[in-house]
Parts: sequence; structure tokens; C-alpha cells
Amino acid sequence: MGGLQKKKYESGSATNYISRNKARKKLCLSLADFRRLCILKGVYPHEPKHKKKVNKGSTAQRTFYLLKDIRFLLHEPIVGKFREYKIFVRKLRKAYGKAEWGGVERLRDNKPAYKLDHIVKERYPTFIDALRDVDDALSMCFLFSTFARTGKCHVQTIQLCRRLSVEWMNYIVTSRSLKKVFLSIKGIYYQAEVLGQTITWLVPYQFAHDHPTDVDYRVMATFTEFYTTLLGFVNFRLYQTLNLLYPPKLDVKGETELKAEFEEDYAMDSESYLEKLSALSASLARVVSSAEEEEAEMDYFPVEGEDMEKMEARVKAQHEQDKQKKLFEGLKFFLNREVPRESLAFILRCFGAQVSWDKSLCIGSTYDAEDETITHHIVDRPNMDKQYMNRYYIQPQWVFDSVNAKMLLPVEDYFLGVTLPPHLSPFVEEKEGDYVPPEKLKLLALQRGERPVEEDEEDDEEEEEEEDDDEEEEEDDDEEAEEEAKLKEMEEKKSQGKALPVKVTPGKVKSENRHRLEQEEKAEEKRLAIMMMKKRDKYLYDKIMFGKKRHVRETNKMVAKRKALDEASKADRKKKKQKKQ
Amino acid sequence: MAAARRHRRVAASQPGFIPLKSDLDGKSLSIGRRKRVNKNKKKNWNKYSDINDVEEFLDDVRLQERATGGLIADKTDESLFFVDTGTKESVLEPASSEETGKKSKPLRIDLILQPTSNVAPPKDILAHQRPNAKKERRIAQKIQKLTDMGVLPRRKRPQKVPVKEKPIISKDPDRNFYDIWSAGSPETADPYYLEQTKKKLVKRPEKMNEKPSLLPAVEVIAPGGSYNPDFLSHQALLLEAHEVEVTKLKAETKLARKLAVNKKEFATQETTFKEQIEGLVEEGEEPENETEGPEAVADADEDEAVGPTAQQEKKTEKQRKREKDERIKELQKKAARQMIDSRQQLFKLRSIETELKKREQKTKMRQIKRKTQQEAQKTLPRRLGKLKFQAPDLDVQLSDELAGSLRTLKPEGSVLKDRFKSLQKRNLIEPRERAKFKRKHKLKYVEKRDFKEIK
Repeated sequence: MGGLQKKKYESGSATNYISRNKARKKLCLSLADFRRLCILKGVYPHEPKHKKKVNKGSTAQRTFYLLKDIRFLLHEPIVGKFREYKIFVRKLRKAYGKAEWGGVERLRDNKPAYKLDHIVKERYPTFIDALRDVDDALSMCFLFSTFARTGKCHVQTIQLCRRLSVEWMNYIVTSRSLKKVFLSIKGIYYQAEVLGQTITWLVPYQFAHDHPTDVDYRVMATFTEFYTTLLGFVNFRLYQTLNLLYPPKLDVKGETELKAEFEEDYAMDSESYLEKLSALSASLARVVSSAEEEEAEMDYFPVEGEDMEKMEARVKAQHEQDKQKKLFEGLKFFLNREVPRESLAFILRCFGAQVSWDKSLCIGSTYDAEDETITHHIVDRPNMDKQYMNRYYIQPQWVFDSVNAKMLLPVEDYFLGVTLPPHLSPFVEEKEGDYVPPEKLKLLALQRGERPVEEDEEDDEEEEEEEDDDEEEEEDDDEEAEEEAKLKEMEEKKSQGKALPVKVTPGKVKSENRHRLEQEEKAEEKRLAIMMMKKRDKYLYDKIMFGKKRHVRETNKMVAKRKALDEASKADRKKKKQKKQ
Repeated sequence: MAAARRHRRVAASQPGFIPLKSDLDGKSLSIGRRKRVNKNKKKNWNKYSDINDVEEFLDDVRLQERATGGLIADKTDESLFFVDTGTKESVLEPASSEETGKKSKPLRIDLILQPTSNVAPPKDILAHQRPNAKKERRIAQKIQKLTDMGVLPRRKRPQKVPVKEKPIISKDPDRNFYDIWSAGSPETADPYYLEQTKKKLVKRPEKMNEKPSLLPAVEVIAPGGSYNPDFLSHQALLLEAHEVEVTKLKAETKLARKLAVNKKEFATQETTFKEQIEGLVEEGEEPENETEGPEAVADADEDEAVGPTAQQEKKTEKQRKREKDERIKELQKKAARQMIDSRQQLFKLRSIETELKKREQKTKMRQIKRKTQQEAQKTLPRRLGKLKFQAPDLDVQLSDELAGSLRTLKPEGSVLKDRFKSLQKRNLIEPRERAKFKRKHKLKYVEKRDFKEIK
């Protein structure tokens, strides 16, 4: 029984955690600096499992950090820099107060500064790690680059963010790795596949800012500070992989083409190059000037059996990807001034199109609206006065939808002044049995290569198709019910045993096709398997089946709703027509 | 020189020597008697030797130099003299000279500041000399010679005055870049040395590399959030937003209901009057209470008195023995019962087995449940501080707000806020309230005099 009595809160979880205030005091930092340090180093607060124990009996809500993390922070060289900066501010204030302008200048020259390179390396030991986490950085950079330079944050930061985001867009254009675009009411979502990593980022619409008051700008600026450093290194590495010059330079052809006459009017010399880069209309210069991109042949490994099939599938996917990359190749676009220039130019260039716009709209336009070779003119107004015969006048949604469909959609639905089909989210992946909107069904049919017929007929057909689907599903349900009924019967028969009167009657030769037989066999197998199930499993199985049926019922309901809506709208239209007549 | 002086003095002291200057002569006369001075001291040499003549001579020389820029004796005759051939008649000259004189006449202040002596200023030697010039010249010559021969210097000499470089700031858009992930040369130095000199960074704890939440960094909005949505998905999103609003409203109404004032409990005239006269009128009940009081106390006293007396009685030997026997018997009974039970269990094997199985299943189910709960918790925002995470309002546009085209689209919500909330949702930062502005001193309202006058 002997030994000293254990004291409370001297071991276990109470010693593994440290409250924020204690951590702050341990590091000798102010709260703002501590918060900054935590964000930069990637130290996040924890919620302990046993709060009361950690809090030494108190139930007050506190922010806790892991003690090991804080101990690790003690070794950080930046902590020293923060303290230096604090002293610098104090000295500066003193010099100001005493009106020692020479001293102020001297202090300003020796302002302590820090670099975050080692933290980037520490948090992301390999390049792929960094690339995986680049979503956040991209969203933040694109967001900050749209800020007005009004003192909400440093102008330098905004410039840097703009530069980095332009660099990123240029990389995506050159590598042609964009996969999906989604125009939402919040902003534009992009998804690209870079070196095997799927990267999603959100770009706000231009000029869409009201600065919300409940956002901590200091925290956001700190995150951005780290993310800009990270993105800089990532961009550099990505440019290296494509043999591009860094910082990016336009290739010689582009440079001569973009020599605008009124360059000085548009932007200052210091900014005009970035503006030209951000115009995205010219390609970038490479370190090794390769005449043409050589198509990398896929490695072929001689394999057999299942692997062979997989291999073929992979080859097919690769082909499809290549085809998607060249979606707009050979097409020549002209953007009217009311469409969002940057996003459209970015997307079109990502798929190999040529883009231009009005000279007065932005720097970097390469041809005029009068050019005869233009194939598509993107317009977002109800009508145009002067129209050319040899080009399509389409609404911008066509571009986004085509990219998501991985094919050039028929332009008829997107003509000037036509009511647009809905813009579907490419980020939704329907599972089997989910409700699929008819627009998507149409699109899938198009992708399969089926030709769309006349609109009304098509609608009818679709409806029929849907109905067929419904019937099929119902049939499935019926089949299962039948199966179960049969099973029951059989069981009953079994239980009754040999008491049944048995008769032998002359049979007929049945003509059975093999397919049918196979199917029956399969069904039989399934039935047997169900029969052999344990009671527990059977319960689970029934539950699953019930869930599926419910799901089907729900989708059927949705389809019916849609049908009703369509009919109602059709009736409305007819009425209108009649009225017109 | 001292010898010459002595000679001169000796000569002067001789009778019949006539000095050149009278005042000198007078002086010497006034001295009259020669003072005896020790001549073995340098001090006395300086004190008692007469050097006036030399000084005079030198003064004269200096005067000459100031006036003419050298000794007159050294000058050539042409510079000193000229042949006077009479005055030249010139009528126009004075007028012109007057004119020019007016213009070219320097200012008096300039004239004052002009150097009065003709002696050239001494050369500033230091202006032309460089320290270690000879050495540097030799080195340069050597390098030149080597480069002529084709041997390049191994390294350039570092600049004497180091140019102060500004520290590179990570915010600076013009900083240079390098590949941070390129494999550098492996450290060959002693790890202990590196550790002690803080050249090696401390290893990052493994746990810090885990993400605090499984949520993706960028959550894509539901398909109903498209700028031109499909009807049903838009309806679904609307329904979701509606439900959120309904729950909020419910909570609000509940709070309002709880906090509502009950009108029945308002004080009426009657109740207030009752309250005022409480304790004054109703005397009938009080005496009853008083009578009850003492009885209760007395009861309690009796109870207390019974307890201790009973305890203090000692048990007899017999009693003890009996109790012990009873205890032993009880134990034996218990053991026997256990024996029987355990034997009986043999026949209950089946039911025991089923029970065990049941228990096992239960634990398994619980484990699964707990695990799923833990998994679900990984995507939930945790309680990290004083405040709970509050989900932002769903961004939704009503059917009549939806824009038909991209041009007329009105963006909904703020991306900045969305990002901020996402950081909170992923447990990267704790939700916080904005620090409120606290006034140190109360505001004081003063009517200004101007304002008063107007009134």
C-alpha cells in the first residue's frame, strides 16, 4: 500500500496540454504575435478529450494547445524576429516622439524582416505534399488579388498575390491541365489535375467585394503571407517541370505581337509586363526552345488477362484526355466587352483556342472583331447590330458547358437571345439510381455519340425513356417480390415434405435461348444465396433492399415532379402562342 | 648657429665695435654688466642669446616673399624695372575704362577676402597620397602581368567597404526564387555539432502533420448554387436553406416564449396592499407555530438521549460466541451454495454460451458505433474556445433573384467570409468575437459657447 499519494493534475492529459495564455507567456509573445506564429508554423488548437482534467477541475471553455507543439515553437528562429520587431516599433515610436528624423530613417533602414522559406520546407518536406495543400493557397491568392488597394491590407501583398495567381494561370494554360469549371453564385470554381493531384480553387467574380466586418483581416493576411511564399516555390517548381522560364516571360512571337500602340496609356512600364502576362493571350517562353511538343507515348508493358483489359482501358482514357486537351484547338474566339474576359480567356486558352478582345478593353488583344477568320464570337447581350455570316454568335455559357461535357456542344442552344439551358455542376457525380436531371441525360446521350433529334420529339422520347426506366425498375421490384414469394412457397413445400401427391405428366420440349437460360441461372443462384443467408445477414440484406427501393421511389417522385413542371410550362407556352396568334 | 651667435656676442662685447642699430646698442648698454649664466643648460642658451638680427632678416625675407612671391634678389631685372619712355596720350581710354571699371570693378568684400600674400599655398600632400598606394600598385601590376600571361586571379578581391544589403522580405514581390525541394548536398558535419550550434532545425513532431479536420480545403457549393441552376437542384438547396431558417426561428420563438412576461403575475392593487400589510394583521397563525416549536425540540432531545446509552452496554461472552458461530455458519453456507452453483453451471453451458455471444456482439456493436462516431467527429468543427463555431448562412438566390445571363449575375455572399469560415470549420483557428472598443473615460457633453449664443 505504501508510496506517496499521487497529486492531482501532475500526470496524464493535464500535462499534455497547455492553455493559450500559458503558451503565450512561455514564448514571451503578445497574443497577436502568438497567433501569427501558430498560423505560420501550422500549430492548431486542440480540443482535449477530458476537458475538466486538462483544465485542472475548472469547466471554463479555454483554448488548448499540445505542449509538445509549443515546446517545438520555442526553437523557432522567427520568434526572435518577432521580439526584435516589437523593439523596433518601440524605438521608432520614441524617435518619432522626439522628432529625431535622422534616427527614424536609420531605424527604417534596419527594419527587422524574416523569411518563411525554412517553414515551407519544414511543413512540406516534398513537393507533392505542398501540391496537395495548394488549394487553400490558390483560393486565398486569387481572393486577395481582387482586393482594391484601399489599405485593408498591404498593397505589396495584393501585388504579390496578383503576380502569383497570374503565374499559376499561365502554368495551367501551358500544361493544359484544367478539368472542370463551375459558375456559381459565389464565384467560379475551377478544378485542374496537376502532376496527378486534383486541385480545386475558387475565384471570386471581379468587383464583387463588400468587405465583411466579421472577418479578422489580420488572420487572413497572416495566412496569405505563408501561402504566397508556398505558392511562389510551387510555381517555380512547376515552371521547371515544363522547362519554362521563371519568372515567366512571353515568347518572342508573343512579345512582338503584343506591342500595343498605347501601352503607356494603359499601364505603367513597371506593370505593363504583368498585365500582358495576365492577358493570357500569348504563350510563354521556354528554357529550351522546343519546336513542337512531342507527344509522349504511353509506356507499354506486355501483360495478359485482366491486366490487359485494364491496360486497354487506361490507353483509352489517355486518348480521351488528349482529345479533351485539344477541345478548342483551331477555333478562333472573339470576346465582346460585356463578358468576363479573364475567366473566359483563361479557359479558352487552356484548351488551345485563340482569343482576342477589343483593343480598348484590355492590353494584349491580338486581332480585331473584323477579322474574317473568327469562328466564335462570345456575346452576352440580347442582340447585336452588326453580325458576320461566317461566325457563331454564342453566349459565354457555351464555353463552360463544353468544357464540362468534354466535347463541343451544339451551338444552337446557346445562340444570341436564346434562353439558356441550366448550367449543371460538374462536381456532382451521380450514383446508380440517383435522380439525374433530364438535361444531364441529354448531355450523356450526346457524349455517347447519339444525334439529337427534333426538340419536341426528343422531349417525348426522353419522357418515354424515363418511363421505360421506371418500368424497368418496377419490374425489378416485382421480380424480387416474385422471388420471395416463390421462396416461401418452396419452403412451405419443404416443410410439408413428402405428403404431397406426386403426378407425372408428359412434358413438352421447350425452346429456350441460351441468354435467357443464363439469366435464369444467375437469378437462381442469387435466390439460393439469399436463402442460405443467416438470419442476421438476411435482416441486413432486407434493410439494404428496402433503402434502395425507397431511393428509387424518391427518384421516381422527382421525375414525376419534373414532368409535371415541364407539362405545365408547355401548356403555358401553348397558351402564349395562342394568345399571340 | 649657437657658435655664430656666441662669436657675434663676443665681437659685440669688444671695445671699439660699433653696433649697427642704435636701439640694440642702447639695450646692450643698459645691460652693461654681463650676467653670468651657466652655459651647460639648454634653457639658458635660448634665454640669453640674442637672435634679433636673424629674426629681422627672416622677417624681411618673408615680407619679400609675401609682396613679390620670392626674394627680390633672385628676380630678374626685367621684372623689377622698366624703361620709362614717357606717358602715352590716350583720350578714349579713360571713358572706356570708366565704363568697364564700373562693370568689372570687384566688390569690396571680395577684395578683402582676396589673399594678400603672393606666396603660393602649400600643397596638401594627403590629397594626393593614398595609403598603401605603392603596395596596391604593385599588386595591380602583378595581376595585370598574370592576366597578360593568361592566369586569372582565383577570386575577386572583396570590396573594402561592404555594401549593406537590405534583408529580403518574404512580402517583397521582387525577391528571387530557388527550388526549395531540390536535394541539396547531404550534411557531412557532425550531427552533435550541428545540434549544439543550432544549425540543424529541431524535428517537427509527427502529430503536427496530421490535418485537424478531414474536410476539403475548398468545398464546392451544391448544384443548386449554379448561376443558372437546374430547377430541382435549386429547389433542393432552397429547401435546405429554408429548414435552417425554420430551426433558427423556432429557437427564437422558444426564447421569446420563455422570456415573455406573464400578465397574470402583474401586481394588482390588491396584491400590493397585501404585501404592504404582511406581518401586521394575521396574528392568529403565529402562536400555533410557537407552540409546535418547543415540542419538536423536546422530541429531538429524547432521541439523542436514547442513542449513546444503548451503545455503551457491553456484550457478554456468550453473545460474542454466538455471533461468531453465526458468522462462520453463514460463510460455510455461502461456500456450499457457490459449489452447487458452479456445478450447476455445467448444465447451463448452452445458455452461458449464448449469453457470452450476446455480450460479445454488444461490445462489437458498441465498438462500431464508437468508431463511426469518431469518424464523423473528424469532419465536425470542434469546440476550441469560448465560442462555438457558427455555420455561415447558406448562399442562396431566390427564384426571382436568379439572373438569366452571366452579365446580369449578382454574386451572393462574400468569398472572403467563406474562406474565413472554412478555416474555422476545419479547426485551423478558433472562432472569436471581434474585440470590442472600450472607452477609458466616459464621454462628457458640453455645450459650446458658440452654440449657446446662437440659441
